[in-house]
Amino acid sequence: MSELALKIENVCKTYTFGKREVRPLANLNLEIMKGEFVAIMGPSGSGKTTLLNIIGTIDKPTKGKVLLDGVDIAELPESQLYKIRRDKIGFVFQNFNLLPYLNARENVELAMELAGKFKKERLERATQLLTKVGLSGREHHRPNRLSQGEQQRVAIARALANDPAIILADEPTGNLDIKNKQEIVKLMANLNLQHGTTIIMVTHDGHIAARTERVLFLGNGKITKEKKGSHLTEKLFCPYCQAKLQPESKICQNCGKTLQFRRFMGKLTPSNNVNNN
Amino acid sequence: MVKFISLRALIVELVRRSKKLGIMTRAIRNISRRKMRTLIVVIALGFALAMMISLPPGIIANQTAAQNVINGIKSSINNLGSSLSIAATEIDCNLPPTITTNWNSSPGSGPPGSGYFTAQIGGSGASSAVGASSAVKYTTMSLTHYSGINSIVDVNTVVPILQVNEAQGQYDYQIEGIPLNSSLIGNYPILPANITSGRTLQAGDSGVVVLSEDNARQWGVSTGGAVNILGQSFKIVGMHGTSGISDVATVYMSLSDAQTITNNIGNATTLKVFVNNANNVGTVSSVISEAYSGLTVSNSQSLISELSGLQSSSNKQLQEAQNTMSQTQSTAMAEIIVAVVAGGAIVLILMLYTVRERTKEIGTLKALGASNMTILGQFMLEGLLLSLIAGVVGIAIGLVGATNLSTMLLPQVTSPFVGNGAAASTAISVTITPELLLIGLGAAILLGTLGSLYPAWRGARTKPSEAMRFE
Repeated sequence: MSELALKIENVCKTYTFGKREVRPLANLNLEIMKGEFVAIMGPSGSGKTTLLNIIGTIDKPTKGKVLLDGVDIAELPESQLYKIRRDKIGFVFQNFNLLPYLNARENVELAMELAGKFKKERLERATQLLTKVGLSGREHHRPNRLSQGEQQRVAIARALANDPAIILADEPTGNLDIKNKQEIVKLMANLNLQHGTTIIMVTHDGHIAARTERVLFLGNGKITKEKKGSHLTEKLFCPYCQAKLQPESKICQNCGKTLQFRRFMGKLTPSNNVNNN
Repeated sequence: MVKFISLRALIVELVRRSKKLGIMTRAIRNISRRKMRTLIVVIALGFALAMMISLPPGIIANQTAAQNVINGIKSSINNLGSSLSIAATEIDCNLPPTITTNWNSSPGSGPPGSGYFTAQIGGSGASSAVGASSAVKYTTMSLTHYSGINSIVDVNTVVPILQVNEAQGQYDYQIEGIPLNSSLIGNYPILPANITSGRTLQAGDSGVVVLSEDNARQWGVSTGGAVNILGQSFKIVGMHGTSGISDVATVYMSLSDAQTITNNIGNATTLKVFVNNANNVGTVSSVISEAYSGLTVSNSQSLISELSGLQSSSNKQLQEAQNTMSQTQSTAMAEIIVAVVAGGAIVLILMLYTVRERTKEIGTLKALGASNMTILGQFMLEGLLLSLIAGVVGIAIGLVGATNLSTMLLPQVTSPFVGNGAAASTAISVTITPELLLIGLGAAILLGTLGSLYPAWRGARTKPSEAMRFE
């Protein structure tokens, strides 16, 4: 658990528009362990997406080191980078970015096809992944036949296709309604818990961020604050009877007492000042 | 069988191993998804390619047709030339004829008293009077009186012709007697040229006639029948059509028959003098005029020089027509090039548009780990497939409609020889050879490659970060 998935050292990113200089990242340092579920929050223009793009090798830092699985990806040429993106990184986008002319299964297969996997293997794994994200039976539906939540599930299945070292999610719930938001974040949390997938998620939504293990706040190109999230809900126990609690449950299944969670920006713990009589 | 199975297994294995097979699937999906775009490319490029394969053989067919027309004109000009060169050696000698004018107007107008009067040509001018119809009466001459013409230097022969105008009721006709001597009728143009049924007159014929279609109609007779002329019965051996205004109602017979029935034994009305060379016509004409001052001597010399001038200028014009034809060919080639280049440009523009429209997709593909080559290949394949479809459609259009397309797009060749002298456009038939089909398909592949190379390259080198921002 102590192995580093990602280490970012003194990363700067500068854009110049004519004479004006914009600096979304300034000497940013960050370490993320393997199997962590991290949320990045911050106001608009604080460099969240830039940071995610740099980690995802879509963008290059002006200065600094980005070590992914021990390899400095900031130094690699484009002819190598596409392989990193293909094999080590899974992207989940706010707008899902599914190819409209491919069905759900083909969208998942696409990532594997680019990695040179054979048809038989692709088919099996795509079906398996779609089942895992809860879309069993919807394999042949094209994106326009799927709800937004379902589309994001396909995108998550696609991101998992090549078993990446890290999943980068840029506001994955930004376009979803409340119900779908919770379901998607639950799906990601489960993937993280069950398979140890490292996930970095950019979000505006505090409630969503609170469901992760660690929340990083970005401001002026640096990490300004760091908080523990409540991701380990599944590991919580009832403060009254010590029985394991069901996620999101407001009543302990064991002792039947009503629970109240302090939900925002902190470890999610049942509060003690509840009248249970 | 074993070989077949192993080959099949090999193919299956190849297909299974083919990593890029998905590219083909995606290209086909995109082509079928963007039906409007596909339709535009297929129509524009298809027609360009159809033009490309059907116009060149169309041009060749057109040229052949035009060449046939030109050859036809040339040979008739040459025929005209050779018949002119014989006619050029002819000098006609007559005594001045008399003209009978028939006044058929209502009483009170025209000369009072009599319905008929005779006048010399150049006389009172009555022949041009309104409401009158005129008949020429040839003046006969004694052949013995003019026998001296035969001995003039450069004269080959003298052919006496007897022309007598007669009337049967209201119908005016002309009897023409020709000496049916094999050495004359074989060498000189003295018989009717345009025989429409039966035969023409032969050497030694007697008691037979060749009459005009007009005669036959008027008298209700036909070839093989008999006709009574001036009390004498003649067998009709043939009929002639008109080859000039003068022989509309002419009955040809032997000179002796004509002399007998018109009471003109030893007489003729025209002496056709043939000289040995067209260059001597002028000299011989003046010798005859001097020797026989009463004779009207006419030759076709001036007409002939005019006609030969016309002949050479016609040849020059034909040459120009031929040049114009080859210019037409190069113009048509230029049109083909324009159409094909426009087709290629349409592929280029639509592929550029497609690449731009799908920038986000390119970004997604790159984020998923597609290499630049994969993206280049994806768009190239799409452009190529589109062009191939257009190529197949173009070839189909060409195969079905090459003739129509060529007739529509190329100038029509009008032949003056079709039908009864009426000009008509010549139908051309265009054949597309397998070579042309291959060229068409090759052009489609080339245009598809060239047209999508730049857009695909642009798509491939789009930076993923920019592509992802693109909305």
